[in-house]
Amino acid sequence: MTDDPLLAVRDLKKHYPVRSGLLRRVTGQVKAVDGISFEVREGETVGLVGESGCGKSTTATSVLRLEEPTAGDVYFEGDDITAYDDDEQKRFRRRAQMVFQDPNSAFDPRMTVGESVAEPLAIHGLRDDDRQAEIVSDILERVGLSADDADRYPHEFSGGQKQRIALARALILNPDLLVADEPVSALDVSVQAEILSLLDDLQSELGLSMLLISHDLGVVREVCDRVGVMYLGEMVEVAPTEELFANPQHPYTEALLASIPEPDPRSRGEAVELTGDVPDPSNPPSGCSFHTRCPRVVPPEDFEFPDGSFRQVLDFRLAAENGDVDTDALAGDTALREEFGLPSSLPDPDAESVLAAAISDAASGDVEAAADRLADAFPTVCERTDPELVDTEAGHPAACHLHDAASEHAPPELTNPQD
Amino acid sequence: MPSTEQQSPLFTRIDWRDQSASLLDVRPRTAGLVLALAAVAVTFVYNHQVATTALVGTWDLRRMDWLLFVACILLVRYGVVPLVANWERSSGTVREFLRRPAGLLSLAWILGFAVLGLVGPELIGMPRVDFYADYQPPVFTTSHVTNIANVECVGPVTDAGCHGTWQYPLGTTSTGENVVNIVMYGAHIALKLSITAAMIMVVVATAVGTTAGYFGGWVDDVLMRYVDFQQTIPAIVVYIIVATMYLGKGLFTLALVFGLLNWGGIARLVRSETLERRESGYVRAARSAGASDLHVLRRHIIPNSAATVITAATRQIPLLILAQVLLAYLNLSDVRLRSLGEILNRALPPLGVGWWVVASITVFLVGTVLAFNVFGDTARDVLDPKEVA
Repeated sequence: MTDDPLLAVRDLKKHYPVRSGLLRRVTGQVKAVDGISFEVREGETVGLVGESGCGKSTTATSVLRLEEPTAGDVYFEGDDITAYDDDEQKRFRRRAQMVFQDPNSAFDPRMTVGESVAEPLAIHGLRDDDRQAEIVSDILERVGLSADDADRYPHEFSGGQKQRIALARALILNPDLLVADEPVSALDVSVQAEILSLLDDLQSELGLSMLLISHDLGVVREVCDRVGVMYLGEMVEVAPTEELFANPQHPYTEALLASIPEPDPRSRGEAVELTGDVPDPSNPPSGCSFHTRCPRVVPPEDFEFPDGSFRQVLDFRLAAENGDVDTDALAGDTALREEFGLPSSLPDPDAESVLAAAISDAASGDVEAAADRLADAFPTVCERTDPELVDTEAGHPAACHLHDAASEHAPPELTNPQD
Repeated sequence: MPSTEQQSPLFTRIDWRDQSASLLDVRPRTAGLVLALAAVAVTFVYNHQVATTALVGTWDLRRMDWLLFVACILLVRYGVVPLVANWERSSGTVREFLRRPAGLLSLAWILGFAVLGLVGPELIGMPRVDFYADYQPPVFTTSHVTNIANVECVGPVTDAGCHGTWQYPLGTTSTGENVVNIVMYGAHIALKLSITAAMIMVVVATAVGTTAGYFGGWVDDVLMRYVDFQQTIPAIVVYIIVATMYLGKGLFTLALVFGLLNWGGIARLVRSETLERRESGYVRAARSAGASDLHVLRRHIIPNSAATVITAATRQIPLLILAQVLLAYLNLSDVRLRSLGEILNRALPPLGVGWWVVASITVFLVGTVLAFNVFGDTARDVLDPKEVA
């Protein structure tokens, strides 16, 4: 036994080529996963959270080498899995299993549940029917079903039961690592809780290590020991679950935490809303890829911006760059300011003069000039350089310029732009 | 650390070192298939090298019969064996099928057609020319055929004309062939043709469709562009060229040409099914458990395309039967001068007195075509698990 973590991922990348034209030439890359690193230790549950399209599922399939990673290394007990030969690969498949999101399509409608659950056994060479049946009835009881259910067909079961069966199928080879890709997001909330507690029980009984992928921080809080937050193919923060919830260090994590519904109706309205859309991963923004939506984007050092107002200025600039400013419908400076939530004037006179000039450019129809003017006058570090995942004062790493030693200005307080 | 050391006492232990899969570990059905095909191959060689005439008694095997043997072996292996081996499961499907009146009727017709086609010609013989019994009307009907010169009525003659007799229940042709024998022999030809051509189509379409859909990329592009190209070639034209210039106008050529040129549509359907299933949870789960491509194809992809393939093949069979009748009518398919099409061409009695020949053949053809179509529809309804669930 070594001190290596069970699973170690180093700078994993998975890029998908974008092909177009008659000759199917590669014209771009979708960087689904762009250099992430994390570890799963023996008996530990690690969560990966993020919005849909941030590369969580691709990470899962690349880590198990169901898809060949573009770059980076994945170590399983210290061995590089990308260097496995066929035999080693097969042995690895016995020890690392995956559970998928949708239990309704997870079973071959032509096979009984028993046959489906026993399939991994047959794949690995155990073909004795009686022995299979024995193992299957054992595992079905372990996940809370009865041994008789083995002879029934998948469509006779509910979603929650099917997810139990899917768990049984994943656990039948007695793996050391279970990768669960959104294991409960297709289920009713009450059923979600059941499956999560089953996962928790099984994990402690079997000493399983788990990589749990979810968009739901509530789910992650329930079962995970540590959490990694992903945004657009990059890891933005990694922390023990308690710490992440108590003291988030990345604005994106803060926004995700704020999006968990509060059961208390009186505490409504404190949600941080993210502005803008998730950027296209084939054309990610320069610098910190979150700067297009970040509520705490770092303002330029030469100007004074009151709370969060630089966010609106930047939103206006990005809209202008993308040609989303409809100057016909929004005639006049005031209309433009209102549309983009800009204050009627900025307290810093220098900043205000630039903004006013840009707005009058836009109002007169020259949106490009407005965008250029703002880009020149208000550069931000978030746009220029990609932040590294470095340790913060809170003790866990996050990738944000707010924690740069260089940025001496106080980070703007997180407030709701509508306030 | 190895997984065997870390198990909780509640969990079943498996020592994987004992479970090495060997190449000798084949199922009896696979062995049976190989043996049967080998037996056909050996007999074929024997028949061509040693006993070049009749193999057993007067039974002289032709190339169509060899093709039929191979098709029948494949039909048994991939149709009958799975049905019987998984009787517990398939009995439910069969019951569901028989519960539908349309399914029951079509199955009864197809079974009757198959049994008659198989044993009919052997039991009651080939249609024979008999100039003492030409133009006989079917039983229970009368006809004024005696007005035609040299025609004698076998049954009683009254004012209403010549009465049909049980000797010729469906009447006779202008050359005195019994229509019952003609229809039997027509069924025999149709059966041979449909089994052979359908098996060729099913095998090729499944192979091409699953390969294209499963592996994708340039494999998919090449195969599907070939299908596009092939579908522009009318099988009937190729048949006429091949049959008149190279292989002869027999059933063998017909089965081969139509079988090898008409699978494009089925392959397309199989491909789209495969594309859908390739991304399904059970395929991904099997892959993450370490399944090979072959395992996924055999256990999941192909069995789940069965409903599509069966439906599509049953649509092709009636077209084949009709094409054969048409080509025979045009003298482009010779089956020892006894095909339905040739009878229609050669032995059609003058208008008004020989309606029973046309009627019998038409009823047989319409019934068979209808039966196969209804069978295919019902099979799809029953086999599609989405609708059952």
